[in-house]
Amino acid sequence: SSGINAEYGGDLSQLVVSNSTPHTHIMQLGKDKKFTTKEVLEQHLERVTSVDWAPRSNRIVTCAGDRNAYVWNYQEDTGYWKPCLVLLRINRAATYVQWSPNEDRFAVGSGARLLSICYFDPEHNWWVSKHIKKPIRSTILCVDWHPSNHLIAIGSCDFKCRVFCAALKELGDKPQTSNWMPKLNKFGTLLAEFDTTNSGWVHGVGFSPSGEQLAWVAHDASVNVVNSASLTKVHTILTPSLPYSCLLWMSEMSFVAAGFGYCPDLYTVSAQGVSFTAKLDVKKEKSGGGEMSAMARFQKLDVQGQTGNAGTTVTTTHENCITEIRAMARDASGTVTKFATAGKDGRLVTWDMESLSAALGGLSL
Amino acid sequence: VGRDQTVISSGINAEYGVDVDAYDEEAYEDEARVQDDSGVAEVTERASKVKDLLSQMKTKEALVEALKSPPVGRDQTVKSQNYDTVMWVLKSFKGSDIDAAVADLSMVEVDILMKYLYKGFSCSPDKAANLLLWHEKVVAKGGLGSIVRVMVDRKGV
Repeated sequence: SSGINAEYGGDLSQLVVSNSTPHTHIMQLGKDKKFTTKEVLEQHLERVTSVDWAPRSNRIVTCAGDRNAYVWNYQEDTGYWKPCLVLLRINRAATYVQWSPNEDRFAVGSGARLLSICYFDPEHNWWVSKHIKKPIRSTILCVDWHPSNHLIAIGSCDFKCRVFCAALKELGDKPQTSNWMPKLNKFGTLLAEFDTTNSGWVHGVGFSPSGEQLAWVAHDASVNVVNSASLTKVHTILTPSLPYSCLLWMSEMSFVAAGFGYCPDLYTVSAQGVSFTAKLDVKKEKSGGGEMSAMARFQKLDVQGQTGNAGTTVTTTHENCITEIRAMARDASGTVTKFATAGKDGRLVTWDMESLSAALGGLSL
Repeated sequence: VGRDQTVISSGINAEYGVDVDAYDEEAYEDEARVQDDSGVAEVTERASKVKDLLSQMKTKEALVEALKSPPVGRDQTVKSQNYDTVMWVLKSFKGSDIDAAVADLSMVEVDILMKYLYKGFSCSPDKAANLLLWHEKVVAKGGLGSIVRVMVDRKGV
């Protein structure tokens, strides 16, 4: 996809950004409140498709269409980022990468129809991967780690959302049983598989903060949530809007989904199911949309065959599909208070829940 | 509308009539079509129920009945028969009654209706005027999402 992928560093003063090129930019927030490029990471040979920044260990991972991924470590003495190769062993482009909650491993989805779980091998000083292949039948579009650090959910182009066990005995994992994994399973075991009712590619997937719930959004303009306590009961909304590409859980009871409608939408989850709550883009009306001169009207009729303003102006902050949504700040209870969206319009927009809530007359997350 | 046709790949393979995708071991295959798909008996029964309702001027009820369990499998005759039933119902509505009928439909029924509207656009261009009127009302309820679902769903009517 075109547009940008971005993630903030731990203290929000830095950004790692890829912009549909093989280059990755480290951007620094200046005193003028603007981000400028501090360093360009050049290692990939093809377009970088996804980036992630592990805040506590301060490592960046990038993956690209060249079937490679690199982990970048910050060198304190030189002030530069040093790449370390990751042996993904895939024969198609990598599509998505995410660090695990403990930051000791990361997952890479790819067009090779398999998931690579990567961890560091200190003996050879490189990152190695273990593959999860069955029963994935098409490109993986998105992944999300469970808070336990050893379960993972993926969304793929075969219209399914799946949960796998990704416990690594190589790293000394001692997994616990849970609703997702009632008995201990080995690496790569399929724990749950969910279909999309109208055969939509699963663009975005996310575990709730506790890990008990799983939500996914698909190309059939559906929003789906399931609680691990009752895996056969999937709550689905067939939305009237254009499909969503990504989602972010704000708290255990709400998440924001964004995508082809160019606008982040808030959904609320309860025992009864999931429901749409509010559109969060409360941009003011574009000023200067007053009377058109007779000449302008004639020109518009001549060129576009239209007389009015309808259908030609974008009233949202993003001017193209939103592709990524990231949490920036949380309050003491863990609820997201600030998030960022990146889109195919090349924009990174930050959203502050407090001011949005005030503008919308109060939102409970 | 639907994904029932097999496509012979283009170019030189088309000349030989070889479908190279059929030999790809890793090619994606749709899972078996819905087993409890409406068969000939149900579709015929539905048609007669709809006929009864329409003769009693119960157009709303006829619409709901016509949209039940649409056949989405590979049997074109069954699908064609159900399509005729649905088109008949749509034609029987007075323009002013459409709003009320659409308002009471569930989102699943809206999606099924939208699928039939698009099938109508492609198969029955003579009915376009009536279908366009229906389309406007159904989009008002189902939004662009219902149109996307028609385009995306591999189970076509």
